[in-house]
Amino acid sequence: MTHVNAVSFTILIVLFAVVTIVGFAAARWRRTENLMHLNEWGLGGRGFGTFVSWFLLGGDLYTAYTFIAVPALVYATGAAGFFALSYTIMVFPIVFVFAPRLWSVSRVHHYVTPADFVRGRYGSRGLALAIALTGILATMPYIALQLVGMQAVLTVMGVGGTSSAFLKDLPLLIAFVILAGYTFASGLRAPALIAFVKDTLIYVMIIVAIIYIPIRLGGWGHIFNTVGTHLAKTNPKTGKPFGSLVVAPAGEWAYATLALGSALALFMYPHAITGVFAARRRNVIRRNMAILPAYSLVLGLVALLGYMALAAPGVPPAVKANGANAQLSVPLLFQQMFPSWFAGVGFAAIVIGALVPAAIMSIAAANLFTRNIYVEFFNHEASPAHQTRVAQFVSLLVKAGALAFVFALSKTFSINLQLLGGIWILQTFPAIVAGLYTRWFHRWALVIGWAAAMVFGTVAAYRVPVPGTAGSHFGGSTDTVPLIQHTVYIGVTAIVINLVISVVLTLVFRALRLPAGADETLPAHYLADPEPDTAAPVRVSAAAEASP
Amino acid sequence: MAHHNPHRTHTAAWISVTVLLVIAVAGTLVVPIYARSTPAFADFPFFYWYQILWVPVVGILTGIAYLIIRPADATGAAEGASVASGASSDDAGLGNTGGAL
Repeated sequence: MTHVNAVSFTILIVLFAVVTIVGFAAARWRRTENLMHLNEWGLGGRGFGTFVSWFLLGGDLYTAYTFIAVPALVYATGAAGFFALSYTIMVFPIVFVFAPRLWSVSRVHHYVTPADFVRGRYGSRGLALAIALTGILATMPYIALQLVGMQAVLTVMGVGGTSSAFLKDLPLLIAFVILAGYTFASGLRAPALIAFVKDTLIYVMIIVAIIYIPIRLGGWGHIFNTVGTHLAKTNPKTGKPFGSLVVAPAGEWAYATLALGSALALFMYPHAITGVFAARRRNVIRRNMAILPAYSLVLGLVALLGYMALAAPGVPPAVKANGANAQLSVPLLFQQMFPSWFAGVGFAAIVIGALVPAAIMSIAAANLFTRNIYVEFFNHEASPAHQTRVAQFVSLLVKAGALAFVFALSKTFSINLQLLGGIWILQTFPAIVAGLYTRWFHRWALVIGWAAAMVFGTVAAYRVPVPGTAGSHFGGSTDTVPLIQHTVYIGVTAIVINLVISVVLTLVFRALRLPAGADETLPAHYLADPEPDTAAPVRVSAAAEASP
Repeated sequence: MAHHNPHRTHTAAWISVTVLLVIAVAGTLVVPIYARSTPAFADFPFFYWYQILWVPVVGILTGIAYLIIRPADATGAAEGASVASGASSDDAGLGNTGGAL
């Protein structure tokens, strides 16, 4: 892998150039009088219909990490990795229920972030800050992992040589600087428009892969047989089989709770909520929940790429030769199975697949910082243009931070943080989703429940050893729950703790008659469907209306 | 005169939607249903083709749920719209419990 395949590389560069032009040109798409407004820069004018939203949400939710890490997990452990498919099957019916309410109340009150809603609903700056910090904290490593995904592709392509650390990272650096450029200039319009290119490439890539590769490998029967034989072998590191073709009874709880916990967590991520807020009308969201499963089908097929990689004779030795990094399995599979021009298309699909979510994540994190930290605590009187300027620079900062993550810290550390990010973001679920239905919970009870669950989740994840390595940490995201004697996703255990504490303390605080905080929302706001053009500017000063 | 009770229609719609969505989620949440290798289909063990098949099934169930809830939702939105236009910081009510959705 020392020399670069010129054909694959050229295809990647050309497609990357196309996307760059689209990204900068997006500033002129659905042109508005004033782009210097968070409704415009940060939410694309809040005017995307069903069609655009489908591409945007699909491009937003299915990240490069999905295309790299899910098949890698399947490659390494077999059926257990398929929880991701179950997760993307469950997520849309769940979100169908509450997302329209969140959209409506946010449209009425011009909320830009989930923390804006929490602040308005509970009249609590502290709780809103907790939600905002969790969002930023969970998003940073997620962006870093987009880079890790891109790196896997570049490594297999042999781009960037290994002579010096700087040269090795240079292609990634260039890609990210360009990404930062058009995100800064065009805001959410850039990833929304690029999502069309990304999703088309992904669909083409997966349809070809799912037909062409099994033919070359001797059919699905042969693939499943080879994989089944391999997974049944004993892993010398753990003394147990590598995995299984069907989830074993002992793994069923882990499988189900990982799927459910991840499904509940997904739309708590700021970038997912940004995608929802960008919709023009309330119905756009529910319609999309019915048609987004098309992407789940892609995910299921991408997961199967892990098995194809395991069954392709040349891939496992090449993975071993690269430090047993299973994340390289899919790029290696493309390289070995496809003609070089189509391998280039596949590589471009993954790299561009990383750019779209990375852009939206940095915009979402920038919105959170601007609205819920900068305006809230430092500059109440910031004008819409000033807020947008701050968000633009923060989006650069967030990306620089993600780069630093990947370059300065170990890759393992980024992945551990991503694992923690999922557990953390799930802890914002009670405040946000319960808040859409009831004001029963006391704001301080929710803060304490959140804090306890964050600490518990972090400690519990830290204590999971890497299988076969005693004394190691962050070895997985599941742990045995003493009471029920089952292996359960730590995020789910943490949210149960979160809820129990929130309920008990709400009862206590209500009995003590502690002040509940003012609620600026009304029941009808959760059902409203205002015309898009009635959207008034983002309120200049949230603090002027602050409750006690 | 046959009187249409919007509230009752609303409740009935939400019950049917709830049933549809619970089926959709339970289909892959209850792992023992599909944690088996037989019957295989086109060389795919049951575990795999069941979950892949469930993807379009969930799309259809959610689509039906959308069609059922759309009229009820529109009523709520119409009611909401009038209030929405008057929304401001000083209509801060205490202890709202949200709407019917």
